[in-house]
Amino acid sequence: MANDLKTFQPKEYYRKFLEKDVRPDGRELGECRSTVVNIGSITTAEGSALVKLGNTTVICGIKAELANPKADEPKNGYIVPNVELSPMCSAQFRPGAPGEQAQVLSQFVVDVLQNSECVNLQDLCIVSGKLVWMLQCDMICLDYDGNVADACVLSLVSALKNTCLPKVTVNEETQAIETDDKITNNLKVQTTPVSTTFAIFDDHFVIVDPTIEEETLATGIITIVTKEKKLCMVHKPGGTPLKDSQIQLCIDRAIERSGQATKLIDETQCSLDR
Amino acid sequence: MEVDRTSHELRPMTCELGHLSRSDGSATLTQGDTTVITSMYGPGDVRISKEIIDKATVEVTYRPKIGLPKCSDKLKERLIRNTCETVILSGLHPRTGIDIILQEMQNSGSFLSCCINSACLALLDASIPLKYLIAAVTCCISDKGEITLDPDLKQEKKSVAILTFVFDSKDFNVVTVSTSGSFSNEQFQSCLMACREASKHVITFYRESMLKKLSKSV
Amino acid sequence: MADHVGSLFLPGDLIQNLKESEATKKILLGPGLRQENDLILTSKPGILRFREPNVYWIDSPQKRYVPVKGDAVLGIVTQKMGDVFRVDVGASESATLPYIAFEGATKRNRPDVKVGDIVFARFSVANKDMEAELVCIDKHGRSNGMGVIRDGGFLHHCSINQVRKILNPENVLLKTLGKNMKFETAVGMNGRVWVKGRNINETIAIINALAVSEFMTNEQTLSMCKKLADSLAGF
Repeated sequence: MANDLKTFQPKEYYRKFLEKDVRPDGRELGECRSTVVNIGSITTAEGSALVKLGNTTVICGIKAELANPKADEPKNGYIVPNVELSPMCSAQFRPGAPGEQAQVLSQFVVDVLQNSECVNLQDLCIVSGKLVWMLQCDMICLDYDGNVADACVLSLVSALKNTCLPKVTVNEETQAIETDDKITNNLKVQTTPVSTTFAIFDDHFVIVDPTIEEETLATGIITIVTKEKKLCMVHKPGGTPLKDSQIQLCIDRAIERSGQATKLIDETQCSLDR
Repeated sequence: MEVDRTSHELRPMTCELGHLSRSDGSATLTQGDTTVITSMYGPGDVRISKEIIDKATVEVTYRPKIGLPKCSDKLKERLIRNTCETVILSGLHPRTGIDIILQEMQNSGSFLSCCINSACLALLDASIPLKYLIAAVTCCISDKGEITLDPDLKQEKKSVAILTFVFDSKDFNVVTVSTSGSFSNEQFQSCLMACREASKHVITFYRESMLKKLSKSV
Repeated sequence: MADHVGSLFLPGDLIQNLKESEATKKILLGPGLRQENDLILTSKPGILRFREPNVYWIDSPQKRYVPVKGDAVLGIVTQKMGDVFRVDVGASESATLPYIAFEGATKRNRPDVKVGDIVFARFSVANKDMEAELVCIDKHGRSNGMGVIRDGGFLHHCSINQVRKILNPENVLLKTLGKNMKFETAVGMNGRVWVKGRNINETIAIINALAVSEFMTNEQTLSMCKKLADSLAGF
């Protein structure tokens, strides 16, 4: 009986749960799914992290390359994030060139890095004007079960905290680049941006961390990225208009969540060092 | 010439409606020096793969002034498309397509809000059924914490954060938010309130423009 | 906002104090108005108009045609398929016109219609969920001026408003032009007007007059037509 209602009238099915302040998977409206972070699993990459938000799984790998800096920014390195959504994670994606969703997510991650100033690009400089590090960050979604944006940001930040760059010196006489793999420096990550996504359902229910079914039924989405207690991005692309009080509730919840996520990353980092 | 403008006023806005002969609706909006041309077609044909059986398919294309559209423009298109989808009564035109094309003419600050406002004007020009109107306002926070509405390019470069809000014309609730840079919760709330006041001027501007257009054809 | 017949409304505006008809205690909401719970809101920008006893609608300028049942339109035949013709009326998709829907047509006696012909027809089915259907006969089975339009002439595209203006009995354009020249015309509600004058010069003159009269008042139209008649006569 419940399955019939879910197939034929998914909104009605959902409404019945929301009226009792729960969701079909047993969570409360303000509860996030269980988060698992695994750091350093890819040994061939300079930094890596795997994040599981419920079923949504994103793995981020960071490879460092040497490059020439831009002429007008001689001391700045590059961080190039790229989100890949392949048919492996969901049937809605087709093989081939990145679709709109992948491009939108990649741009979102670029904006988060820029707004939060998570890594100072000048830390990536080796020789000003000649040689800088370029960090290629590939986030590959392994399972698309809603809220991939939060998982991508979390995996990227965890991977950056895990990144170790080898020491590079330029021989003054021969101009040859010498890489010393034995001495590595940890990448300095200044702040920890954490993103929290809320879905708006039926104009007045606001739920945290939507699953894929909740995302398709939602009438709007709002994503808030916080670093410590400050906001660095509020992203609401259209969707049902929200009242000021609802936005304030979301911001408060996001700040709470950011504290939990930062603690989780730090604990995982510590357990790795041990 | 630098016009002396208080920080809580919008730059002067002018627009031209219906000047493109081929499209169903068109608008050129100028806010200060920022200019965007929007043309729209609809409700018209749509590819069967993109057809939705109970709603109209809204598609937005953004063309920058120089070069081809980049990855960063896709996020802009997604924002504008979702904002327009909220406003258009797409249930009245199922299995059709509504295409909105934006062309950047000049970017002198507050670009995203100029795009959204000109898209709204083009929708009005084509007489597409809408739930309510949308008004977009950009503001920036300087390093001293001052809020300036509708900044030009120089003010944007010196700022710590740039926030764009889009309000609906019925209850003035927030439809869309897009921010860059970092700011505190209190700064966010004060920007929200300042932009809300300013958006009422944008709605008045829409009303005046439509009045001018309709007085010609009575 | 109070009820102001004749003033501009934008989408999302609230309309109050509408007059109900005494007989049925109902108000008829025409195009551009919609009901949400107990409120009446506008959905299109335009001027609120009223007609006795209880019909309200928003008069808004539009270029794209949306099929409405009962409208007479000019379409161009694009395809012959099975039992129907596909006709382009300028809407989001083509309308169908069955072979049988012509005067005197039967299964054996097919109407003489080729791809590319102009037809003047009326919508028998037109709603948002179904494909639109046209017919060239009225309910009594007579063609009543509808059917294929032959022998030349010129098909001109204009906006929906222009067409409504021309068909308005108060508008003087067609009457004034008719005083000086003899011509045949068919006006489709989808923004298409077909004109055939005595010769090519007159046809082109009439089409030009139609094109420029979109934003003119009656006085301006009169003086423009007078100038046109003068120049055709050679002055």
